[in-house]
Amino acid sequence: MRVRGVARTYRDGTRAVTALEGTDMDVPDGKFVTIVGPSACGKSTLLNLFCGLDTPDSGSIETPALGTGMLLGRVGYMPQQDLLMPWRTVTDNATVGLECLGCDRGEARERAREHMVRFGLHGFELSYPGQLSGGMRQRVAMLRTFLCGRRINLLDEPFGKLDAMTRASMQTWLLDYWQENRCTIVFVTHDIDEALFLSDVVHLMSPRPGRIIRSLDVDVARPRKYGEVVTSVHFNELKACLLESLGRSL
Amino acid sequence: MKSGIWPPLALGVGLIAAWEIYVRLAGIDALLLPPPSAVARYATENAGVLVSNGAATLSELLLGFAIGVIIGLCLGVLMQIWRWFRRAAYPWLVATQMVPIPAVAPILVLWFGFTIVPKAATVALMSFFPVAVNTVDGLSSVNPELIRLLRTFGAGPWKVMSMAAFPAALPRIFSGVRVAMALSVVGAVVGEWVGSTHGLGYLMLHFENRGETAGLFATVAVLTVMGIILFFLVGWAEDWAISWRRHAKETL
Repeated sequence: MRVRGVARTYRDGTRAVTALEGTDMDVPDGKFVTIVGPSACGKSTLLNLFCGLDTPDSGSIETPALGTGMLLGRVGYMPQQDLLMPWRTVTDNATVGLECLGCDRGEARERAREHMVRFGLHGFELSYPGQLSGGMRQRVAMLRTFLCGRRINLLDEPFGKLDAMTRASMQTWLLDYWQENRCTIVFVTHDIDEALFLSDVVHLMSPRPGRIIRSLDVDVARPRKYGEVVTSVHFNELKACLLESLGRSL
Repeated sequence: MKSGIWPPLALGVGLIAAWEIYVRLAGIDALLLPPPSAVARYATENAGVLVSNGAATLSELLLGFAIGVIIGLCLGVLMQIWRWFRRAAYPWLVATQMVPIPAVAPILVLWFGFTIVPKAATVALMSFFPVAVNTVDGLSSVNPELIRLLRTFGAGPWKVMSMAAFPAALPRIFSGVRVAMALSVVGAVVGEWVGSTHGLGYLMLHFENRGETAGLFATVAVLTVMGIILFFLVGWAEDWAISWRRHAKETL
């Protein structure tokens, strides 16, 4: 995915808010890419553009991996809120994406069931979202997105509302899953540790109006172990690098 | 819910007992206010008449209610899909509720004669409105973020409607249906008053003209019981259709 000079301004009442200004970035095919930045810097606006819910005022977004044409309906997207439907069971929430794609409900359920163990939802297939913990709800939402089997998947702060320990285990889990099923992931977060631990490339965004002020390759070998990586010297050097760039932009 | 039946039952029995005692002690003319015992006696002696006329009213009511709910649902969905239709139709739908039903009913009788049609039409006219209004409100209450998510999955407007908006709207829709059921009972009786040869509404006029107050009270009692049963049947259907609410509450 190639992003060049993307700008987006929206109206908030009578005010014009410039969310993005001259944003350039590359998302290499099959890589885990993170966009990290302070709150309200336009990260979510950028994802809305990537999944085709919104179009840029100027600039271009090219996706050679998907060919040309509308992005809407062809890029996987997992929003901040889990948006599980309280009237559907875990299995039937996971199949929502497949059903939208025109998949037969029985077949969709079959495919969802095959993934229940891998997503730690085994035994909860017939539970309702109201009966699940926060971490499990996020895994259902993630399964819903990944079941669609998209080449590019956008994850908007998926672990933002989880406690620190659940969060660390979910990060490790996500990396394992991604290693088995290579797809392009664009992950949005405001947590620098999370960004560095997960990604191949970290794009740092400035406060509003947002643009990419620093792109950093994270040359840490995979598979990564949480405890080892986040306490290593190299990890802290990279972190200092990002914090310094962020400090200069504030 | 099971223990919930006792408080209203006790209150009802108490009120009826107080009525009986008052009529007897004060020596009220039975033509003005018959004691409950006289009403009960009348009802058992004329059970056949009450049941056959009750059945007539029930069939008018159910037919009109079904038509009203279906029309209300369709209007609600269309108003949600087409904003221009909502703007164009909404004031006119409100207008239909401002026209006094007793004024419209004779016209319906004029058109359709002493058949089931004018009664069912009166019922439908009264019951479609709460369903339509609650359907629109319910459908527009769905989380817009959920709609955006479904669009990224490639869902079109109908898919969004059937997967997200309609299930999310069901609790609101059922509130409308419950109001519609209560209004249907009134609608059926008003329809019969204007022109009919049988039914509970007809029976009321009949007893009133002949000064049989006990019969009049018995008829009202039958109508009331019928209405209460129908209302709770709707509530039961609601619990069945929105069974997920029970599970959602379990963890709270």
